[in-house]
Amino acid sequence: MTAPNSTQRKSCWDARDLLWKCLDENDDKISSCQKFQSEFEEKCPGQWVKYFIKRRDFLKYKEKMQTEGFTPAEGPQGAS
Amino acid sequence: MLLLRCIVGDVRGAGQLLRGLQRTSMSSQDSYSGQVPLPRWTQARVLSHAPGSLGAKLKLRTRLLVTLLFSGGLLGACWYVTLEKEQKLRQRRIEQLREVALGQGSFSLLDHKGQRKSKQDFLGSWVLLYFGFTHCPDICPDELDKLSAVVSALDQDASLPPVQPLFITVDPERDDVLALARYIKDFHPRLIGLTGTPQAVKDAGQDYRVYASAGPKDEDGDYIVDHTILIYLISPDGLFLDYYNRTKSQEQITESVRNHIRSYVSL
Repeated sequence: MTAPNSTQRKSCWDARDLLWKCLDENDDKISSCQKFQSEFEEKCPGQWVKYFIKRRDFLKYKEKMQTEGFTPAEGPQGAS
Repeated sequence: MLLLRCIVGDVRGAGQLLRGLQRTSMSSQDSYSGQVPLPRWTQARVLSHAPGSLGAKLKLRTRLLVTLLFSGGLLGACWYVTLEKEQKLRQRRIEQLREVALGQGSFSLLDHKGQRKSKQDFLGSWVLLYFGFTHCPDICPDELDKLSAVVSALDQDASLPPVQPLFITVDPERDDVLALARYIKDFHPRLIGLTGTPQAVKDAGQDYRVYASAGPKDEDGDYIVDHTILIYLISPDGLFLDYYNRTKSQEQITESVRNHIRSYVSL
């Protein structure tokens, strides 16, 4: 399968941005943003959907760390 | 930072000098009756005309002039010292990078037109190199856009030699010559894409200590390749001189490359 070209990339990114904007406005409730979610899944390759979901999680986590601060772990957690 | 401290010290020094001169002039006016010994020139000035506004004005002008000259001198010295220090820092960094000795080997790959290109073909040019893959969701297009903008900005400067942008794939299985040709045309017109056999590509990547790891394939056979996100600057001698990560803006990279080119001494 060929890689998305510039136009396809942009169309995917726009769909992603619309979805993220909706999620921001709806407190991350996917049920309120179904339309954007399906648009996003249609416009972007499967791998990219997974990647952007993880990316959003990471960005939210980073924001949380930067605003709420970071509490270090209590010590050795035991065998992991 | 050094310049700031220098300037603050300089301003303090100038202020002290100004106050010092004011004290001298005030004391000289008090001793108009001639009780305190003074440098002859101040005495002559004070005695040559009536005390009051004219004398005070001349004194003020002299004081200001002396202060300005002194401050100017101090500022000049500050600036020179700062430049020297920056130059020393740059030299030290280049020596450190030489010790790391990245990109010493030679690669032999195919460009996006199917022609064989090796490291030798790029000697004599400044090169900005980026490793990526065409199925990259967002980072590679962003970095290549940034790279293209840097090269275009440098193109505007007629005093600089043209910089060669290079893109080497970390995904040789999917990024063949055709895929590369399709991909790179969205970026700078001089951008050359390079690919080859998995072994040749791996060797090139290892030469620059590029980390690349293909992720699991999904039902479409698609996968993401996790890889180091860096733009490498290579001198006309083929020596790795500097690198720029995601946090460096287009302006910062352009400025850095410009400085490297200007201060470059050929081996």
